[in-house]
Amino acid sequence: MKRYIYPLIALFFISAGVHAQVDRSKQPEPGPSPKITLEVPGEFELKNGLKVLVVENHKLPRVSYSLTIDNKPIKEGDIAGVSQLFGSMMGNGTQSISKDTFNEEIDFLGASMNFSYRGGYARSLTKYSERILELMADAAINPVFNEEEFNKEKDKAIESIKSGENSVSTVASRVGRALAYGTHHPYGEFVTEESLNKTTLKDVKKFYQENFNPKNGYLVVVGDVKFNDIKKQVEKYFGKWQQGADISYNVPDAKYNVGKTQIDFVDMPNAVQSNISLTHTVDLKMNDPDYHAVLIANKILGGGFNSYLNMNLREEHGYTYGARSSLSADKYVARFSAGASVRNAVTDSAVVETLKEIKRIKNEPVTAEALANAKAKYMGDFVLALESPQTIARYSLNTIINDLPEDFYSTYLQKINAVTAADVQRVANKYFKPENARVVVVGKGSEIIENLEKTGLPIKYYDKYANPTKKPEAPKEVSGVDVNTVLNNYIKAIGGEDRLNKVSSLILKYEANAMGSTLLNEEKKVDNKMAQVVSMNGAPMMTVVVTQEETFMKRGGMKQPLPENMANDMKIMAGLFLEKDLLNSDKAKLSGIEKIDGKDAYKVDVAGEVVSVSMYYDIETGLKVKEVQTTSMQGQTQTQEAVLKDYKDYDGILFPSVKEGTQMGQPITSKLIEVIINEGVSEEDFN
Amino acid sequence: MKKSIFFLSSLLCANVALKAQEVKYEEYDLDNGMHVILHQDNSAPVVTTSVMYHVGAKDENPERTGFAHFFEHLLFEGTENIERGEWFNIVSSNGGSNNANTTDDRTYYYEVFPSNNVELGLWMESERLLHPVINQVGVDTQNEVVKEEKRLRVDNQPYGNLLAEVKKNIFKKHPYRWATIGSMDHLDAATLEEFQAFNNKFYVPNNAVLVVAGDIDVPSVKKMIQDYFGTIPRGEEVTRNLPKEDPITQQINAKTYDQNIQIPAVIAAYRTPSFKERDAYALDMLSTYLSSGKSSVLYKKLVDEQKQALQVQAVNISQEDYGIYALFGLPLGDVPLTDLLAEMDEEIVKVQNELISEKDYQKLQNKFENQFVNSNSSIQGIANSLARYYMLYGDTALINNEIDIYRSITREDIRNVAKKYLNPNQRLVLEYLPKKDDQ
Repeated sequence: MKRYIYPLIALFFISAGVHAQVDRSKQPEPGPSPKITLEVPGEFELKNGLKVLVVENHKLPRVSYSLTIDNKPIKEGDIAGVSQLFGSMMGNGTQSISKDTFNEEIDFLGASMNFSYRGGYARSLTKYSERILELMADAAINPVFNEEEFNKEKDKAIESIKSGENSVSTVASRVGRALAYGTHHPYGEFVTEESLNKTTLKDVKKFYQENFNPKNGYLVVVGDVKFNDIKKQVEKYFGKWQQGADISYNVPDAKYNVGKTQIDFVDMPNAVQSNISLTHTVDLKMNDPDYHAVLIANKILGGGFNSYLNMNLREEHGYTYGARSSLSADKYVARFSAGASVRNAVTDSAVVETLKEIKRIKNEPVTAEALANAKAKYMGDFVLALESPQTIARYSLNTIINDLPEDFYSTYLQKINAVTAADVQRVANKYFKPENARVVVVGKGSEIIENLEKTGLPIKYYDKYANPTKKPEAPKEVSGVDVNTVLNNYIKAIGGEDRLNKVSSLILKYEANAMGSTLLNEEKKVDNKMAQVVSMNGAPMMTVVVTQEETFMKRGGMKQPLPENMANDMKIMAGLFLEKDLLNSDKAKLSGIEKIDGKDAYKVDVAGEVVSVSMYYDIETGLKVKEVQTTSMQGQTQTQEAVLKDYKDYDGILFPSVKEGTQMGQPITSKLIEVIINEGVSEEDFN
Repeated sequence: MKKSIFFLSSLLCANVALKAQEVKYEEYDLDNGMHVILHQDNSAPVVTTSVMYHVGAKDENPERTGFAHFFEHLLFEGTENIERGEWFNIVSSNGGSNNANTTDDRTYYYEVFPSNNVELGLWMESERLLHPVINQVGVDTQNEVVKEEKRLRVDNQPYGNLLAEVKKNIFKKHPYRWATIGSMDHLDAATLEEFQAFNNKFYVPNNAVLVVAGDIDVPSVKKMIQDYFGTIPRGEEVTRNLPKEDPITQQINAKTYDQNIQIPAVIAAYRTPSFKERDAYALDMLSTYLSSGKSSVLYKKLVDEQKQALQVQAVNISQEDYGIYALFGLPLGDVPLTDLLAEMDEEIVKVQNELISEKDYQKLQNKFENQFVNSNSSIQGIANSLARYYMLYGDTALINNEIDIYRSITREDIRNVAKKYLNPNQRLVLEYLPKKDDQ
């Protein structure tokens, strides 16, 4: 049953038959692109329609099973998220084996198994492979869907939506898809808290019945198996799988692209970087003759470090840490995107430069060197991926599912190699259509809309869920109040100037739990000096010391001075009470009123070259309710936010006893555990 | 060659019906003594070219430690035909990747390329062996790089000097007693002539194994190997006469201080035999039983249930001449180091007196088999294993047979190695403590 395509690599080398001594002063030229030796898998089909591909590979005594249900994209409508919930509930035991027993057995056998809404994957040693296949089939055919697991998974899904609520990249990805494909299209619809809440256990069961169907299923077996043995085993374990109801439907067409370049803007007042994505749908299937040229064109435009977009936006202008473009083929509808995350202030310029680079690849032929490097990089990447037997299996499956010619992958590298500069320019013009693109920009309207308007491109406004909306109003003007009033009100609110004047040193200790560890943040302050020590589980991780003479970071025993421009910004903020130091200085600006937790607060900015801080003071109480610190270096911007809550009195001064912040996207709550006033700080702490 | 040990064990296993796996290879010597191993696997158009040199930290002059690792940097500087700084550009612009690493026993260099660049890989490695450029500029540059690496990986790393401290105390005569990265003072004091002499002594074809693995055509690759490596002159034979250690008969107690830590650690370390010995395999299984994963004995007891430790580990670091078996514990809160050690000892005593359960034994077998199988899942991994088994174990066939040794280890063997090697009078107890400012 095993049919080999013989690679005939030997043929390539015949020319190297007779030769004299090698000339080692010359770097050897690469040989012709290698053909790929891909076995053609053995195939059979069960009565229930499950198609099975078998790649025998006896090199290692292990077997992997990959099950794919190749459904058309499914529109989930007002219960969007049902597929996600269904997938997460699969593989947690079966009708006859409890969840714990199921997982323990897999662990004992040294195997692994997981499922998604459109398939599953398992692997094990050969000797346990039949048992693993049996468990996998049992999990696929007789899953358990109970209320308890359902609620657990639903809570997790809702939690994950909530945690993405203020994430610029999450919103950008959702709105980008929704606008490009249209929300009526399965690729454009999205999961919301509301749609999850509408979803019931019954919907999950129904989804399983209708969509997890052997008729559209492919089981790919790779590894140390014999075709005839595995055929019997698969028939035995997967043969019981009943064909579900025949649900047929058509995939709707994606939305039309726009007739003229437009900016689609989503306002996120918390954004410190704008997410820019120029996007439009494209008709490009993998079996399209242009496919390989498009891969190369995209690689040169935005597929790597040396790409046009990255060299311009990152290397030349320093707008971003990385700019990229992508175009993956799809048998229903594909999509092109190009963009980057950039600093607020340069958003409009980054849009202009992105458009410029796309025009460049359309108008100018690429250089021989850029073409050669793109090919080399592509070949290297492609080849490395091939090492995994799963890649080979995936390719066999792709060949069937995407109606590819049989030699698609074995001739892949030759076709990449055959792409010319003229091909690149031709496909760039055919598939990159900035004139029909939406430039989806998610960012802080108050700082960037004015400049975006200057690009001359029409701007449409959307909310975070891709609904059209009005242009965001400019932030409320502040009248009758200046920055000193705000600062003075704060000082009064926390204890008054006289009380603060009696403080000569201060120690604040905040504790938080993150990922199973205890984090302690200890700040020691005297006039114009600050030392911060962060410890994890009792071991100091990092110390930052800021004095007017010296600013450094310490990890272990090593002092590392901070860059000068950063140090200059931080010196302003070192000291006992920042507001006292800012009073009557020109460093703080009152920039407006924003709502924090539903209440109006004055916003005060202290802008720096590298480190900037925004502070929000409740209009009613005068207390500081939020701090946002933004650090921008080398095109990368990081922010740390903290909402300050529950002020408590320590010796006549109020300190926030709770700080709620986020770190690397994870919410983290710190509690004030100790305040020491006028004691325990020495010069040593700042050395 | 230490083939005798394995001869016996392979006889024992001769009855095992099926071969675990079959990595096919061919090996031969060039006239200049260079050993060559070819492994053909045309399933992916990837080729690894690698050279392992039988030179490691143990071959260093005790006054010039760090040389072996230093060479791992120096030999990327350039050759007579590869300009300084060009090495990495050549690799990446041809779709490849590369790296190198050093241990106490050997130094290993490799490139992974799409298979149409096999000649390029061979050329680069032959250039490195035949005529690397070793000059003052390169030495000075790499001196800085190595110092930075030491700062990053050792000096600035919590518990970064732990292994060096254990080695220093466990080995009194054998050169395993110093750290692989060596002494920066020694490197500073070294002259250019000393570096050149080290190269002439150890970087010779008769002290190296070349592995070409992956999508190759064997006859044409053999021809290329002959062309690029066959003409490199043989060097003097490298002979080793390293001192043997006397047995440890009394517990060694030591303390050391680290400024990067706040939580003390306790280490109980035992000197064990070479990884070529059957006992080393049993010790491997024992360490997995004791501390690998959340269901292991020490983790469950000390971290999970009794909450006395933040972390606990048992490791078996085996090398060509000796091994180290070490138990490592970080106490939680105020638990004294002595208590933690006593708790760990209690488990050792248990495995010395009772057999582990059949079920645990089977789970161990499953884990080792998985690990063994997956270690050979990439061409680069296979190339490395082939070189290592040939050069350090003296038996290339272990690529396919090593699992038989693990399979042949019984529950009794595991108990016996615990009895034979893990006694208090055979060990070092090291207290690894936070350094206070006045220390």
